[in-house]
Amino acid sequence: MVTLPGKALTRRALLAAACAVAGGARPIFAAGGMRLAAVDWAMAETAMALGHPPAALAELIGFRDAAVMQPSPDTIDLGLRGAPNLEALSLVAPDLILSSSYYSAIQPRLERIAPVFTRALYVADEPAFPKVMALLGELADRLGDPAAGARLQAAARSEFAMLAGRAAPFARRDCLLFELGDSRHLRVFGTDSLFSGALEAIGLRNAWAGRTRFAFAAPIPLERLADYPEARLIVVGHIPPQAERGLGSAALWNSLPPVRAGRVHRLPELRPFAGIPSALRFGHELVAALEGRG
Amino acid sequence: MNRMILAGGAVTALALWSIAALSALPLADWPGLPWRTSDMTVQQILLAYGLMPRGVLALLAGAALGLAGALMQAVLRNPLADPTTLGTASGAQLAIVAATIFAPGWLVAGNLPIALAGAGAATALVMALGARRGFAPVTVTIAGMLVGLMASAVATAMTLAQGHYLLSLVMWNGGALAQVDWSGCRHMALVLVPALLLAAGLARPLMVMSLGPEGAHGLGLRLAPLRFATLLLAVALSAMVSAEIGLVGFVGLAAPAIARSLGARTLLQRLMLAPLAGALVLSLADGLLLALAAAGGPSLPTGTLTGLIGGPLLIWLLPRMKAQVPQRAEAGDRRSHRAPRPAWLLAGLAAACLVLAVLTLFGGRGPEGWGFIAPELRETFLPLRATAILAAASAGALLAGAGAILQRLTANPMAAPEVLGVTGGASLGYAVTIMAVDGAGPLALALGTSAGGALALAGLAGFAMRADLAPARLLLAGLAIGALASAVLGAIMASDDRRAWVILGWLAGSASQVSPLGAAALAGLALVLLAMLIGAARWLEILPLGAEVGRALGLPLARVRLGLILLAGLATGAATMLVGPVSFVGLMAPHLARAMGLARAVPFCAGSWLLGAVLMLLAAFGARTASYPYDLPLGLFATLIGTPWLFILLMKRTAA
Repeated sequence: MVTLPGKALTRRALLAAACAVAGGARPIFAAGGMRLAAVDWAMAETAMALGHPPAALAELIGFRDAAVMQPSPDTIDLGLRGAPNLEALSLVAPDLILSSSYYSAIQPRLERIAPVFTRALYVADEPAFPKVMALLGELADRLGDPAAGARLQAAARSEFAMLAGRAAPFARRDCLLFELGDSRHLRVFGTDSLFSGALEAIGLRNAWAGRTRFAFAAPIPLERLADYPEARLIVVGHIPPQAERGLGSAALWNSLPPVRAGRVHRLPELRPFAGIPSALRFGHELVAALEGRG
Repeated sequence: MNRMILAGGAVTALALWSIAALSALPLADWPGLPWRTSDMTVQQILLAYGLMPRGVLALLAGAALGLAGALMQAVLRNPLADPTTLGTASGAQLAIVAATIFAPGWLVAGNLPIALAGAGAATALVMALGARRGFAPVTVTIAGMLVGLMASAVATAMTLAQGHYLLSLVMWNGGALAQVDWSGCRHMALVLVPALLLAAGLARPLMVMSLGPEGAHGLGLRLAPLRFATLLLAVALSAMVSAEIGLVGFVGLAAPAIARSLGARTLLQRLMLAPLAGALVLSLADGLLLALAAAGGPSLPTGTLTGLIGGPLLIWLLPRMKAQVPQRAEAGDRRSHRAPRPAWLLAGLAAACLVLAVLTLFGGRGPEGWGFIAPELRETFLPLRATAILAAASAGALLAGAGAILQRLTANPMAAPEVLGVTGGASLGYAVTIMAVDGAGPLALALGTSAGGALALAGLAGFAMRADLAPARLLLAGLAIGALASAVLGAIMASDDRRAWVILGWLAGSASQVSPLGAAALAGLALVLLAMLIGAARWLEILPLGAEVGRALGLPLARVRLGLILLAGLATGAATMLVGPVSFVGLMAPHLARAMGLARAVPFCAGSWLLGAVLMLLAAFGARTASYPYDLPLGLFATLIGTPWLFILLMKRTAA
């Protein structure tokens, strides 16, 4: 959809007025491209990878930790992802708002400010990885830069292929991917998760055959790990200090065959509901961790 | 008979646990003592270091909560006291949540010191207030629930602001009993055994105290140290449970009630029977979940279930209990002054409401700080803000109007939609609509929420009306409904469903999320409510005088009550859709109105209505600006603004 010139003018005028009022705020225009505002982080990451960084981002403070690519310092914070600040969003005067099915409840309100580009990326039982890969092309088309999408998809594929070569010696065992909540609970990344797709892209298999198991208040008890005596345990992300201490002395954890055999690998904090850059980062960290063990 | 009930409960709990244990590992394969982890299979370790300590921990933690509740009830002579209603558990929760987010290093040595500090601080605050009112049960419970509500609102906001990534917080809030070794049981036993001995020693002096302060002084008993020691013991027990397994509500309230109904007459009997009852309640709850999970069901945190069990249990117990709240102690509440010119006061309130609306419409916070919006931006910003402001003020007026009706209806200064479980019922209605109707629109949600609120209130009334709404019963029944509602909400959120996120988003909802049509509808409803309040002035004037007076004056009592209850339920339901289940505006506004001296029905109701709008306007402004651009939950902010105010009010009235 092409924005009507009149409408764009109003928004420009509005923005200029806002800056005049604010006194010294600097507008950022993506060079030659559209001015983007991202509510969804997977979208934001994908847009940044395509070379069209959003001028405004929801939950910018949280995004900056563990970001694969850091947004520029003059990026504007839009507030919570589930309830973005509509005033702040209007002030940004975006040409396009990037959202996802997580935020479908607020889409009508977003549409009143600017056209919304949205995709259902993370849906239970539907593998996210192919959709996130396809998003590179779709968003590039929408931004009028289809060459960038094709180029990045090809680059990502060849990078995963290179990682697959390095991971080949470890392909005999399946991997169990999870985050630790405390010394008794974890969250498992199932075959529908981004990391599971990345795992397959580098030629490894996910030991957990089901969907991603994580509910708001009922994560998986640690004892479920006992069902996977042969797997490699891949702990994604930072372990809370009291969990670290509890695990050291926990009879159950220490008796798990993979723990006894030293098949536990730790990865740094990574973003599970993100775009291809995070998937690639996961691949690099995983292969490095596996090789570190020899 | 009573022994049979206890034995039956114990056998059921054991049977439930055994289902889980035997389905995990046949008896023949159970490990023999002594256990050596190096020689055991993984399944044996799961049993010996997972299920077995879990079963024991359920007993120990339940006993600790039961004892804590019994001690609190004995020392305060208040059948409503327990770690949940006195704010103790929420204080511990807030402390742990804050430490997890801001100073995770403090938790390396274990949760207990932090939990103890939080629980102690919350309880001390409640007691400081209670002491000034002679520990009157209803006042102490109001204060405790306010502190608890404020603490858990802040904790919820902190959790939400951190996103759903902090798994440990989420788990902790749920009250999960899963174990990986025996350390939890060791810690709990180390606290529980000495606590039981101390409690046995405290039984005699506490019984002497129950003769009343004069009798106790006559026998040479010093009350202050006794009260302090008993409360400290109860707080320590509650903090221990909080530190080990998180929030497990209602066991401390249910256990002493069960002990009483089982015929525990002396205080010593009650103090010893309550831990037993608590252990059984928690074991039954956990056993049920274990058996459910073993049969392939979902695995839920136990804390979400204790509310499910505790609520209906209390409702069952209530008719078997005497109304135990001594009315004499609440006499101080009635000595309120009357404003000489209520009409002027009302006009002032209306003016304040308008001025505030205009100020918050134009003023605010942007990327560069505070100020009024520039003329060029008005076209875009004013509709957004006006919608939010209208919705917030209307919701406040609706809640406050419902609170005013309920207080008049029950002649109970504590009655409020939040206290009586009406907001809980409304939230349940919202949740059920979300789960049952795919892609439910705002109208379906509004209807569902209102129906939930009205149903909760109707059920409550139908049950409590028989006893002419004795305040203590009504309060307990309301607490039970509220706990049931939050248990069901918790279970839905635990159900790994995308729709659960919609509910979470609603809990964190802000006024800016309302559509213009929704705001207009809320405003219309609020105006209708005001008109009906004024129309029903005569009834509202007569009702607090009691049923006899009402009948003597020819009031069609049953129909009037039903109509007013439906009205309050609908108003609450509509407002709850916007502000979520927690706000306390419905309690605060009528209190404030009475404190201002608005005593007669029309000024009282209209004043409450206006005050509700004012409170919510302030809340909406605060929620919008306090951490710009991050919108905070509206209900949370309303609670934060109103609670200290109400505290000051409660404190001041003693002096008068």
